[in-house]
Amino acid sequence: MEGKAFKASAKSSSHPGSGRSSLQDIRSMWSTATLSQPKLNVQLPTVREDSELEDFSVSGKTRWSYDQKAGHDAEGGWEASDGGEDKDRFKPEEPELGGDSSQGSRLEEDASKTDNEKSTSESSLNISRHTPHRAYWVEQQNRLPLPLTELMENEALEILTEALRSYQSEIGRDHSLTKQLQRYIEGLKRRRNRRLQVLAI
Amino acid sequence: MKLKQGSFLWYLYLDKLYCLLSVRNVKALVEYFHLLDVHRKNTLNGQYFHVLFYHFLHHVTDLTRNQITVVFHMLDWNAAGEIGFDQFYMLVCILLAQENHLEEQFLFRHSRPVFELLDLDGELKIGPDNLYMYNFLFNIKKEQLRDLYYNFDITGDRLLNYKEFKLFTIFSMDKYQESQKAEKEKKNEKALLQKKVAQVNESQRESLLGTKQFESISNYNC
Repeated sequence: MEGKAFKASAKSSSHPGSGRSSLQDIRSMWSTATLSQPKLNVQLPTVREDSELEDFSVSGKTRWSYDQKAGHDAEGGWEASDGGEDKDRFKPEEPELGGDSSQGSRLEEDASKTDNEKSTSESSLNISRHTPHRAYWVEQQNRLPLPLTELMENEALEILTEALRSYQSEIGRDHSLTKQLQRYIEGLKRRRNRRLQVLAI
Repeated sequence: MKLKQGSFLWYLYLDKLYCLLSVRNVKALVEYFHLLDVHRKNTLNGQYFHVLFYHFLHHVTDLTRNQITVVFHMLDWNAAGEIGFDQFYMLVCILLAQENHLEEQFLFRHSRPVFELLDLDGELKIGPDNLYMYNFLFNIKKEQLRDLYYNFDITGDRLLNYKEFKLFTIFSMDKYQESQKAEKEKKNEKALLQKKVAQVNESQRESLLGTKQFESISNYNC
């Protein structure tokens, strides 16, 4: 499961941690690249993985949840509903079916043709529905979700600010470790402010 | 011990069967650890005032200073004065096991590493004082300790070797599962009772409505 998820990300970026190139790839995926692909096998990121493994579900207390099963079920559900609609579209052929055996083989060919057309139309419908989601999930393969990153950074800042006070009182403000910690905290704050500005835009 | 609500660790989840974090959770934990690794040594420094480690635990739990010091000494198994990611991961699993009331399961699944953590002197035996020192982490009550040494100290040396400790974890796990089962049965019985009461009330209401209708019809006929 995890392997497939990371394979999808490997396709989009040449090497892990690639900065701009991965962003550009993801942007192209957001546009048209995926429309040419007949079927999408998207592995959604999982926190809830399997019944044997942990259970991670969204609750009122907002625990993170990326449910692969739900995603697959949703896809199956979309496919099922699309299949139903498409079956209706191709149904007009059926009333023309007669008991004539000579027409039987032609009808079978027609049926197979309609099946092919059905599958391509189904897949195109699925693609159009999946495209934005696919790009989003592939992007998530290499990164932690933004809210989680924000929570971690904010918490780390609080802890390190308290630690800085201890450093200053225990080993002094001029000590190299104190200065290193101070610079680190300032770097974290700058990163956080930059992200907040981007979000504000 | 309680984790601070809304803290990063509070959002993590142990697998209930194996009492370990999933790969995705570990990935997030690694990122978190690196955020705290200010001096880029892949450790949280300890030294004689274990600053970063102390402030981390002080921020996310309600442990006291003494308890944090005890935890630090327990985890610093190579006496390096620092906590690396392995020890950090172990600590997070212990904290989450306590938070989610999975202590018995955690001890059962990871009896060997826990035993080695508690065996501070390296004598391959744990005394009652050792165990009691860490009861705030593993939620072992005083009465339980007494029973533990009475029932499981087979060799009679008032110390627990690994096999005796393992037996204890198996026993507590069994006891825990039985209590869970009993609780579940109790809940089912309660739900069944409530359902029956609701049904009886419903049938009484229907019969009352039926008699009222009959009375109104008979009055109309008269």
